Amino acid sequence: MEDYPLQVQELEKTFRKKLGLSSFKAVDSISFQLSTGEVLGFIGPNGAGKTTTIKCILGLLKPSNGKASLWGLHPASLEVRKRIGYVPENPDYDDSFTPLEFMSMFSSMRRLDMSQERMLAILDRVGLSKWENVRIRSFSKGMKQRVSLALALQSEPELLIMDEPTVGLDPVARKEFRDIILAERQRGASVFFSSHLLSEVETMCDRAVILSKGKKVVEGRLEDLMRTEDHYSVTYRVSDDEPEELEVEAAVLQKTIDDLRGKGYSIIGVNPLYRSLEEVFLSVTSGGAG
Amino acid sequence: MKPVMTFALMTLRNLLRRRTIWGIIIVILIALFGIGQIPSYGVSIEGRFILDFGLFGLEIGALLLAIGLASNIYPRDREQKTVMPIIAVPLSRGQYLMGRFVGASIVEAAAMLMGCIGLMIILLMNGHAIPVDMLPATGLLLVEGWFLLAVVFFFSFWTSPPLNAPLTVLLFIVSQMSVSGFIKLFPQAPGLMRTLRLLLPHMDVFHIKDPIAHGMDIPGLYFLLAIFYGLAYMAFMLSVALAVFRSRDLK
Amino acid sequence: MKLTAVILITAVLLSLACKADYDIKEVAPPEHLGLEHHHEHDETDHEHEAETVELGSVHDESHEHDVSEISGSNRHVHDAGERSHCTGWFFNQPWAASFIWGKMVRDAVILLVLSAVILFVSGYRRKHQ
Repeated sequence: MEDYPLQVQELEKTFRKKLGLSSFKAVDSISFQLSTGEVLGFIGPNGAGKTTTIKCILGLLKPSNGKASLWGLHPASLEVRKRIGYVPENPDYDDSFTPLEFMSMFSSMRRLDMSQERMLAILDRVGLSKWENVRIRSFSKGMKQRVSLALALQSEPELLIMDEPTVGLDPVARKEFRDIILAERQRGASVFFSSHLLSEVETMCDRAVILSKGKKVVEGRLEDLMRTEDHYSVTYRVSDDEPEELEVEAAVLQKTIDDLRGKGYSIIGVNPLYRSLEEVFLSVTSGGAG
Repeated sequence: MKPVMTFALMTLRNLLRRRTIWGIIIVILIALFGIGQIPSYGVSIEGRFILDFGLFGLEIGALLLAIGLASNIYPRDREQKTVMPIIAVPLSRGQYLMGRFVGASIVEAAAMLMGCIGLMIILLMNGHAIPVDMLPATGLLLVEGWFLLAVVFFFSFWTSPPLNAPLTVLLFIVSQMSVSGFIKLFPQAPGLMRTLRLLLPHMDVFHIKDPIAHGMDIPGLYFLLAIFYGLAYMAFMLSVALAVFRSRDLK
Repeated sequence: MKLTAVILITAVLLSLACKADYDIKEVAPPEHLGLEHHHEHDETDHEHEAETVELGSVHDESHEHDVSEISGSNRHVHDAGERSHCTGWFFNQPWAASFIWGKMVRDAVILLVLSAVILFVSGYRRKHQ
């Protein structure tokens, strides 16, 4: 059996409230896996259970049922922690330190033995080249996010786990983050990231898992998710004119093609129609309510 | 060991950048200075008085420092979510606890040493000799302080900072009581009270200010045994604290 | 099953620890309490003594030692290390009661064993959750 970089099996997390008299199921029996070198988007409205799932994956929360494993190992094992990078949602670090101090301490805690040049190169890569010796206290939310990304990248992780990494970033920073994630994939890393920015998922991910009210509602390759099964686009040409396109329902597809041929038009192509990810998302989450 | 020591140094630097610690240290030094200024009052010999109250001040200082240093470390980390990236990746929960504890212990040790040196200076300024056992006595008080640190960490994993301080002070007080004194708190159930008291630490083990103030010799073996006992209890408290921490969800 | 075993081990170790009675007054041999020499006094209860000592009058204890320094209010003062009916509490502390030092060691060992058990079990539970 293949040991996936990340495998979640029947994961369930229930939070007890009011002295255990009532409870709230944040994650309800979800399963999925991430293959090596893949970028998996984890989408869902606010309160859908994305962060809870990620915390279970990282061993910060104890699943009520089911399990999450990384390369077949427990999330808290040393072997796993060496191989992953984590970018938390709205990270907050001890603000009396500088990014370079953090890089140095984290590299020492991870036994990486990095040179200062290497650390500066990573800070430069995430856009903090002139801020390496400035205390984090004066940093904006986006800059703290960059520190977080630098710390996650420092070990050249085999798996990057990111929780809403681009929330609160300006468009330029978002583009930079996207480029880094794609570069990491090219390096061979697997990437698992949660987001509710669907355009981001659409441009970066190979596959997506959509969550709603703690349950997995859809999982699959983006192409498969976005492709409609009941609508097709028929491209045809009338004599030497520019090609024209016609959208038809699957039920009448064959009849339409026959009609067009009957009129002497040449059929150039028949393709399934694609919806935007937003349309898919809204349709499966009933309008997006968590 | 390297990750723990790095994190301990990170904790140390963080604590030294906080104002609370300096506040407590300044209060201890002012208190010691104040003791040196008080005349003998005819109660006893002045040197004994300074030593007795000075060592008592150091003990209370160790308690205050333990609370001031450690009661807010983990709640703050949890509230600001700084604990997440640390525990998720570079450190295990055990390493996190040990790093935080070692960092705070170093500050406590440095503060106690400063207090001890301050007391020595006050003794010398008032023309009194420094007892031979002064440093070992401070060492014992330091072990007591470390034990209290472990207690504060233990409480911090399942209670809030405002509750942590009174619980630690309560434990500190009842741990000074003799078994018979403790039973008197609730004489209706002597058996229960006896068992309860015996489960609590015996902090009188760390009290040697009286014999030192009276210039008596304390066997070196006693210091070693008391330190061994204190460190063992500290290890026990830390292991219980870690067990609680390991079972906790980091929401 | 494992949890039951841990609870049992802990209970046994704690029951051993509970036998270690540090109330020196209860476990001290008579020679420590100085009863042979001071049978006319009850030295073991300092609080009781404090109530019965007449404040404001000098206690004559010259048969035992010199009152080295009396000043201010008329209190009696003992020489360092001198045992008398008023200094029993002073010697009923662990540093002076070598007969309980063994118990300190035993309790320390029990605490260390318990620590190891707790660490092992909590680690095991975390890995196999």
